[in-house]
Amino acid sequence: MLRATVTLLLSALAATAAAQAPCPVRVGGVLPLTGSMAPITKKIAQAAELAFEHVNQGGGVKGCPVQFILRDDQGQPTVGVDAAKYLVEIERVQAFTGTISSGVTGPIISAITAPSKVVQVTCCSTASPFTLDGRSQGYFFRTIPTSKTQAYATASETMRRGFKKTAVIYVNTDFGTDMLRFYRAAMARLGGDIAVEVPYNDNQPSYRAEVTRALAAKPESLLLVGFPKDAVTIVREWLSLGGTSNVALNNSMRTLDFVNGVGARFVENFFGMDNAQVAGPHVDAFNKSFEEKFKTDSKGPGVHTQYDAVMVIALAMNIAKELNGTAIRDAVRQVHAANGTPVGTGPGEFKKALELIRAGKPVKYHGATGPIEFDRNGDVTGPALVWKISNGQLVTDRTISIEEMQGLARRIEN
Amino acid sequence: MLTGIFSYAVFFSCVVLILSILTLGLNLQWGFTGLFNAGIAGFYAIGAYTHAILTAAPQPQFLGNFGLPWIVGIAAATAATALAAWLIGLLTIRLRGDYLAITSFGIAVTIQLVTLNWEALTGGSQGLSRIPKPLAGTFDSPLAFNLWYLALLAAVVGLLYWGLERIVRSPWGRVLRAIREDETAALALGKSARRFRLEAFVLGAALMGLAGALYVSFIGFVSPFDFLPILTFQVWAMLIVGGSGNNRGALLGALVVWGIWAAAGALVAKLVPPSHAAQGAAVQVILIGLALVLVLLYRPRGLIGERAVVSRHADG
Amino acid sequence: MIAQALADGLFTGAIIALGAIGVSYTLQILRFANFAHSELLTWGAYLALVFVAFAGPGTPTGPLSFGWQLVAAAFLAALLTGVLAWAVDALVFSRLRRQGAHHLTMVFAAFGAALVLRNLVVLFWGHESRYYTRELQMAFEVLPGVRILPDQVFILLLTLAVVVVLYVFLAYSRTGMAMRAAAENPALAQACGIRVEAVVRATWILSGALAALAGVFTGLTPQLHPEIGFNLLLALFAAAILGGIGSLPGAVVGGLLVGLAENLSLLVINPGYKTAMPFLLLLAVLLARPQGIFGEKR
Repeated sequence: MLRATVTLLLSALAATAAAQAPCPVRVGGVLPLTGSMAPITKKIAQAAELAFEHVNQGGGVKGCPVQFILRDDQGQPTVGVDAAKYLVEIERVQAFTGTISSGVTGPIISAITAPSKVVQVTCCSTASPFTLDGRSQGYFFRTIPTSKTQAYATASETMRRGFKKTAVIYVNTDFGTDMLRFYRAAMARLGGDIAVEVPYNDNQPSYRAEVTRALAAKPESLLLVGFPKDAVTIVREWLSLGGTSNVALNNSMRTLDFVNGVGARFVENFFGMDNAQVAGPHVDAFNKSFEEKFKTDSKGPGVHTQYDAVMVIALAMNIAKELNGTAIRDAVRQVHAANGTPVGTGPGEFKKALELIRAGKPVKYHGATGPIEFDRNGDVTGPALVWKISNGQLVTDRTISIEEMQGLARRIEN
Repeated sequence: MLTGIFSYAVFFSCVVLILSILTLGLNLQWGFTGLFNAGIAGFYAIGAYTHAILTAAPQPQFLGNFGLPWIVGIAAATAATALAAWLIGLLTIRLRGDYLAITSFGIAVTIQLVTLNWEALTGGSQGLSRIPKPLAGTFDSPLAFNLWYLALLAAVVGLLYWGLERIVRSPWGRVLRAIREDETAALALGKSARRFRLEAFVLGAALMGLAGALYVSFIGFVSPFDFLPILTFQVWAMLIVGGSGNNRGALLGALVVWGIWAAAGALVAKLVPPSHAAQGAAVQVILIGLALVLVLLYRPRGLIGERAVVSRHADG
Repeated sequence: MIAQALADGLFTGAIIALGAIGVSYTLQILRFANFAHSELLTWGAYLALVFVAFAGPGTPTGPLSFGWQLVAAAFLAALLTGVLAWAVDALVFSRLRRQGAHHLTMVFAAFGAALVLRNLVVLFWGHESRYYTRELQMAFEVLPGVRILPDQVFILLLTLAVVVVLYVFLAYSRTGMAMRAAAENPALAQACGIRVEAVVRATWILSGALAALAGVFTGLTPQLHPEIGFNLLLALFAAAILGGIGSLPGAVVGGLLVGLAENLSLLVINPGYKTAMPFLLLLAVLLARPQGIFGEKR
């Protein structure tokens, strides 16, 4: 009788333990899916979905499939924070990705992910303070370099092309002001001249007033920092008012939406910067699988960095001894062990990585943005890339290697 | 699992309580005084940023950040908002209903733009971070801190509710309602309608500023994106749905509307795969819009409507 | 510089004026702030897009970037949007009116309806920007330092024509006169036997049609996306109110002033504050004249 009861109790306990088994492992994300960023975030969400598909095909996390739950922040921080809290507490996500606007990233770090010790690897939030002022306690990483890289590279390239009297029209958000700040500092050190700086608020029907103000300074070149939808309006109004075709752009304009929006023949020879998607077999593999699955090109802001963010999370979760925030956090930098065997993008490579991890061997991830390496703050540095528009296509003009970028940073900051 | 639900519920309740302070303030302005204030986000911003600027740790690039104690921040935020409301009220109170709405809205837009553009003071688009949370060091887990903060907020809301109920039944409150119902008659009794209205406006706005300060010291971060017009719309929806002219309605409305907002998001995420998330999100907003319209069609006085007042101007 | 800002202000103002007329009359005759009006702009623009998808925008006629097909599409869209406005009224606002709803309830219902309408556009057409035509016009210099686009001139002239026709309609047609009477004094108008329902219907159809035209013009310069109406909403209200509601000249003057204020202000202030300009202008006008420029003192 007693033995029966004990057996019954033990099997009940075992059943409860099994019921609380970790499968499936959940990862959460918050993005502005509605609102003005929507055309961009659609592709970013697709990149994330593709990444999780590859992860699951390649073996998942510790033998469990991974489930991705994506919420909309609607551009409102309170909504984003509520969604993040829900994901962490009720969906029990073990890691976090997404977030673009610093208005949403800031409160999420401050109130949710840092206090609850949940690792957050964002694809797209570039405002520098998040990693530099210690508030994230090491739980915040990003696969996208801060605006500093892009701004320095832009300054260097515009100088190299002989741009003089540059007007800067920039979006009046954290992204735009950050870029401008670094660009201005770089131009001061490199000896360039900025003719005028004109901020613009997004979502307006017309920007003629801003364009007119920029043109009044009689600039010989233009640097436009912003996002494609409003950028199309600005560039069209700029050109039709007689503005010059010496135009430099930032990375978010590297999309056919922009090229076709203005009209391919009007943007010939426009160039821009991006954080390098260094060409290579792993990058190509990613581009190919993205295009196959979604029947659209893989170019666009945040697409490659989001894929890498997910892969980094999945690899770190496999490397970590246990699935808790602190262990995962400490495992993130082992994703790019110095003597690691290179593993790339795609389900096959992920499977290979898992085998190596199981055997206790180090791995070095080469992602859709090239080799990833997080510095001690959780930022990545990377090579930069100059792209240009040629015959309605987006082509790579040249790349600026990591060493050149580091040299440039030293020149500007010392 | 249960701890998770509890944890989320605590957090959710904190947000609801903060939003309900906003709604109580609006109820004083609209429900009791008939002032159509569409500038809620502006007053919320003044309170939030005042608190942030006074309490955040000093940093070289900012003019402010004085690192003062939490209670100083709270008090100053409330006072600053009251002062701003007094100035704004002097300019705008005498405008008729809809016009007051649009000018107060415009003022809120201007305030938001100031937070966005005056970088040296407000941090501009990157906001202000590391705003100290009260007694944060005493609690080692977010749940413990949130529970403490929930208790704090509950006490504040309880106090405000009690205070507002007393005020409404006081002679001052009775004059306000008389003015709202029939200004001509009230004037005939020799009361200065404008002065009473202004006082109600200022008091309601002070509550909104207090809510702002409580919000930033809960989250620890503030940016201009916290004060977009959608917030004003949400608080109004809370008051309308809960039942305006009724403090309990204000509290209930905050819970229901924010609950719908959060639940719609969670539901859509469950039903729709990530690559179609954008369309799912559009459906979520449609559901919110429909819910609002349906409540207005079938329960126009809100869930707990105001007790019927014998007056030919009673709102219905 | 000033001359260019004046020209730009004029053209932007014309579009705002078209949208503001409907807002003005709804405010006066129906006595509530219809925040769904902006979505009529958006829907008008997208409905015209549907027609253009069939017939094409037409080969550019003369210096314009489009042909007569776009103009025809615009007027067809105007018709359909008028009907849409009437339908929304029938479904939502007239029911609330029959219940004797407070005007604030109506405002909120309008908000809810706006959310639904705007996101239906997203569901049907997606978030991506759309274009009537891919042509890029070069502005021509009409005076030293002043460049304008031929499209803008066309829009201005068409707006002028529409306003004149509208003025004649309001002054001389029976429905028009009934609308003006209802706008000035609803109780008296009803007592004189004017059928309120007919006036309400006319107001909605007119609002919708004008909004659609404004929407098409906005979409032309240079793109459509689901938020084009919403981004203009507050400017429309500011224009209607500062011009004095219920007044056609008021809405037109209000629209022009708002357009001018936005563009001229950028000459002196930080462009980051541009979106606040219509309100500050409105506040200034209302402080001096609380009923708006052409409004009737109540």
